[in-house]
Amino acid sequence: MKSFAVIGGKLALICAIAATALGFVNNLTEPRIREFKAKQLEEALSAVVVRGKAGEEKPVEGVPGVLSYYPIEERNNALGYILKLIGAGYGGDMVLLASYDTEGVIQAVRLMENQETPGLGKEAEKDQYMEKFIGTGGKNPIPVRKSQLTQEQADSITGASITFIGIAKALETGAVFLETLED
Amino acid sequence: MRIMQEFTKGLFKENPIFIILLGLCPTLAVSTQVVNALGMGAGVIFVLLGSNIFVALLKNFIPEKIRIPSYIVIIASFVTIVEMVMQAYIPDLYKNLGIFVPLIVVNCVILGRAEAFAKNNSVGHAILDALGMGIGFTLALSLIALIRESLGAGTITLFPIGDFSGTLRIPVLSKAPARVIGLASGALLVMGYLKGLFNWVGARRKEAVK
Repeated sequence: MKSFAVIGGKLALICAIAATALGFVNNLTEPRIREFKAKQLEEALSAVVVRGKAGEEKPVEGVPGVLSYYPIEERNNALGYILKLIGAGYGGDMVLLASYDTEGVIQAVRLMENQETPGLGKEAEKDQYMEKFIGTGGKNPIPVRKSQLTQEQADSITGASITFIGIAKALETGAVFLETLED
Repeated sequence: MRIMQEFTKGLFKENPIFIILLGLCPTLAVSTQVVNALGMGAGVIFVLLGSNIFVALLKNFIPEKIRIPSYIVIIASFVTIVEMVMQAYIPDLYKNLGIFVPLIVVNCVILGRAEAFAKNNSVGHAILDALGMGIGFTLALSLIALIRESLGAGTITLFPIGDFSGTLRIPVLSKAPARVIGLASGALLVMGYLKGLFNWVGARRKEAVK
């Protein structure tokens, strides 16, 4: 019984010291991380707005896959919307920022937080990856299968089809959500 | 003499990747770009150093029965520190490595060295062992990444310095790269050939000693 208490006590002591050290490091790094994330979001928002300015973020509830939206306006004219979407990737959920015009045509897409594989799914963070989606939506269907892409575009998703399907399905969900928003 | 050996054994004779075959999961996963391999290597060296030092220091304090949970707590703490510091100060690298930073916790090299070496040796030897094994791991990882990236994508990605964007393009290969080398199967192929090469060199050395 005594040895049991000693063993438990020692393990608890190790854990307590580790937790204290981690709390200390977190205190130092947390403000920088938060600042960086805010800057990243701001940068991404201005990158996906082709024309006009993004308004206030409006949270969306009860629509799976859509987190929130920002209206895009220019001199009180609605030009479109930016949607914050969730897609299912290879390494868990991915957050996407996508801007659509009022017809539902995709203007720009940015992949935000994700845990995709470096060199494969992570390639989707590059702007040229998203070119295959720009201009689709509305009357043109958004490509959701490899067969809907050109040879060059299909090559760019080799080894990372799950990431591609996750992004495409999320963009499609966004387009459907926009139709309900327009009414 | 023995002191130097604790350091150099990890580089070649007991190289964690090619000889002991530890830590293969991150090896296969992050070796798509040279810069990722170097970043992962730096993270592993730091965690290995921290865990080896503390395991060696606490070897008489930690009861035999709970040594594995204690090691895991120590290792996980260092990994979390690496993760937070990387996220705050080198966010680009953190973005590239993604899930593999927290996964350093389960990198067998680290628990393997704590259990097989640090808990039976002095702090000084444990430090040398950690440095040797960590550098050996980094070198092996970088070698695989160099081969995979140059053949599989036709580029070599390093750190951006000044005007240099950080990416070298290899003239002919970048137009028509052998993409399979960049994929998981390519990782296994490259790993297998390198392991074969290391075995061959090792066998020749042994014969030369005889």
